[in-house]
Amino acid sequence: MNTLVVVIAAVVVIYLAYNFYAKRIDRDVIQANDKKATPAKMYMDGVDFMPASRNVLYGYHFKSIAAAGPIVGVITAANLWGWLPAILWLLIGVSFIGWASDYSAIMVSVRNDGNSMSAIAHKLIAPRTRTILFVFIFFYLLLVAGAFVGILAAILAARPDVPFGILMLALMGLLAGQMLYKMKMNLVTVTAIVVIVTLAAMVLGPLGQTKDANGKLVQGPVGQATVALNNAVNAVTGNASLYSVVDPTNADPRIPAPGADGKRASTAVYNADTGEIKTMPSYLFWALFLLVFSYLGANLPIWRFAQPVNYIGFWITLLTILLSAVGAVLAPLTGIKDASGAAIGAFALPALKDMGFALKAGAAWQPIWPMLFVTIACGAISGWHALFGSVGTARQLEYETDALPVGGGAMFSENTLALLSLVAVSIAGAGGGGGRFAAGVGKLVFAGTFGALPEAFGTALGFGAFVVIVLTVVQLVFRVMRVTLTEWVGEAVPAVKNMHVSTIISMVLTLALVLSGTWVYLWQLFGASNQLMAALSLLLVTVWLKSEKRNPAYALWPMLFMYITTLAATAVTARNLYVTIATKAGMAAVSVGGAWAMILVSLLLIVAALMIGYDGWKAYQRYGQGATTAAPAPGD
Amino acid sequence: MSPAPAPIDAVQKWLTTVREFLFGMFGYELSHHAVEMRASVESLFMLATVGDMIGVPILPPYYSLRLLPYVVPQIATWKRRVLREKEFTDEHDYHLHGL
Repeated sequence: MNTLVVVIAAVVVIYLAYNFYAKRIDRDVIQANDKKATPAKMYMDGVDFMPASRNVLYGYHFKSIAAAGPIVGVITAANLWGWLPAILWLLIGVSFIGWASDYSAIMVSVRNDGNSMSAIAHKLIAPRTRTILFVFIFFYLLLVAGAFVGILAAILAARPDVPFGILMLALMGLLAGQMLYKMKMNLVTVTAIVVIVTLAAMVLGPLGQTKDANGKLVQGPVGQATVALNNAVNAVTGNASLYSVVDPTNADPRIPAPGADGKRASTAVYNADTGEIKTMPSYLFWALFLLVFSYLGANLPIWRFAQPVNYIGFWITLLTILLSAVGAVLAPLTGIKDASGAAIGAFALPALKDMGFALKAGAAWQPIWPMLFVTIACGAISGWHALFGSVGTARQLEYETDALPVGGGAMFSENTLALLSLVAVSIAGAGGGGGRFAAGVGKLVFAGTFGALPEAFGTALGFGAFVVIVLTVVQLVFRVMRVTLTEWVGEAVPAVKNMHVSTIISMVLTLALVLSGTWVYLWQLFGASNQLMAALSLLLVTVWLKSEKRNPAYALWPMLFMYITTLAATAVTARNLYVTIATKAGMAAVSVGGAWAMILVSLLLIVAALMIGYDGWKAYQRYGQGATTAAPAPGD
Repeated sequence: MSPAPAPIDAVQKWLTTVREFLFGMFGYELSHHAVEMRASVESLFMLATVGDMIGVPILPPYYSLRLLPYVVPQIATWKRRVLREKEFTDEHDYHLHGL
């Protein structure tokens, strides 16, 4: 297998799915009509409802959905089950489910006066559906914040060459906001300044790295400064760990990948013999650093920090992905080899690993079904896209016929981002998690520039891009989290209406999950909540199609698959948490506490999903029996 | 059947498409946020001058009449904006995600 085959397979599958399936649904089932007035035209208010060109909206929608999800998910899944199941799910998922979810959410909103998913659910299914959505969104955000902060804190603590770039990203974000909105400078000039400086800072981090006589990495001047900082922080406890945790899945970002002999080596924070991961003060320090960064993003005016940081992050990611894409095409054609003499275009990761169906007492259970389908969420299908599409893009569509190229097209494009991440992970010979992704990007960039940019710099770029894209998302997650928390409990607990209080509550809960040291469970629970949200949006589409007397099959079957799969995945994760941590002897108290918290969240998600499913089923039957009016709204 | 566009027109169309796509990807969010900021200031101004139009009990100031010709073009869109029932997911924060 090589990278070019993946590129060709992706192009063919996406072409077929878009032209022969998606277009048919758009034409025959939804019957998009460019003569019908869209909400953007009917309710034009100059801000939210505003017609925009389909090309502009396509770019906007793609930018809004393409981020860390499709990268982290495929890295985790490829390491657990191999690249083949990951690629199959990405291509089949996006062809039959992913595009349908994004596109349909937009169309349902367009046909319902531009209302949001929660408002339409309130009208079509049941009033309590809207309330349950609060629960979903809040815990979804909590889980994703925990998963992302966990992976980033581990990288920042272990890689002294990375934090400098992040610090410069924060400064450039502040500068970009000032230059754009206050000094009203030209966007191109601002972009050139801030993106170049941030990229230079990311390259400066690893500059001057050498290896000593024993082959040990010696940091350059910037990295040395970070090492000194880490040492100073660790000296607070006399270089002793705060506490130790054990990750039964071995997926914690602090655990090194197995070597050629299949064994993991001990590091400063990981004991290969006992499996203990030491939580050093420096790890806590970098976790707190991330929270301070996110605090700025969550509470400063959006134009001052969150938006420009996100903007810079997207540029860096796009440049990295474009260079990698060129490398993925060129590597097999040119036959270029890496430093070890291996062909760069060839996959190094096994196609298939253990499918994980065997259930072992006391051990984590990771069967490919249902766990693969929640581990890779974005890239194949994502519930968050539907939520966003209904309140953002749907209100700006000029013509109904634009919904497919914008919603469906952007989802197919995001799928290519996930495929490229998979390619990068698959060709990398070594490393784990973000490290494997970065190593793969290093090779692709080397191949894409015909060897002009050394692998080491490409790897640094890959690492930097990975951290930047995850970090830019984290700050936005906290921003949305505090808004959701305020909406949810603000009336009952007025103190939560204060944005600093709601942000701190969100951050304390997140930190508690991060410190429990069960990263992969966090990620899988996040994926499950995201996919459940997708199933619920498809449920809403199904009920709407039924109420409109149209054939709901294209949304119904994917909805059933996602609904059952994600409920099963949530239950399996709860079981894993219970068996491998909560009731296992010798586990640290913080891990046990975190595990119980996540079990509770799992049960909450399952109950919420069952309630929405039950209400949806009743609504489906009601419309099947000919009801044409909306559900009664007791108390609302 | 419509005649095929001249090559130069086809190129122009492609360039426009690419330009719009790039603007959508990089500039639209920024410009949209600038529009939102302007709209929030404008809403306050409209509320202070012609708030009685939507039932806000303000005493119409003398300047309302003098400003009326200038605010008339904004009245329709302003009314739609402020009178629309909003959901929690309508907040701008929800538009910025990238998940």
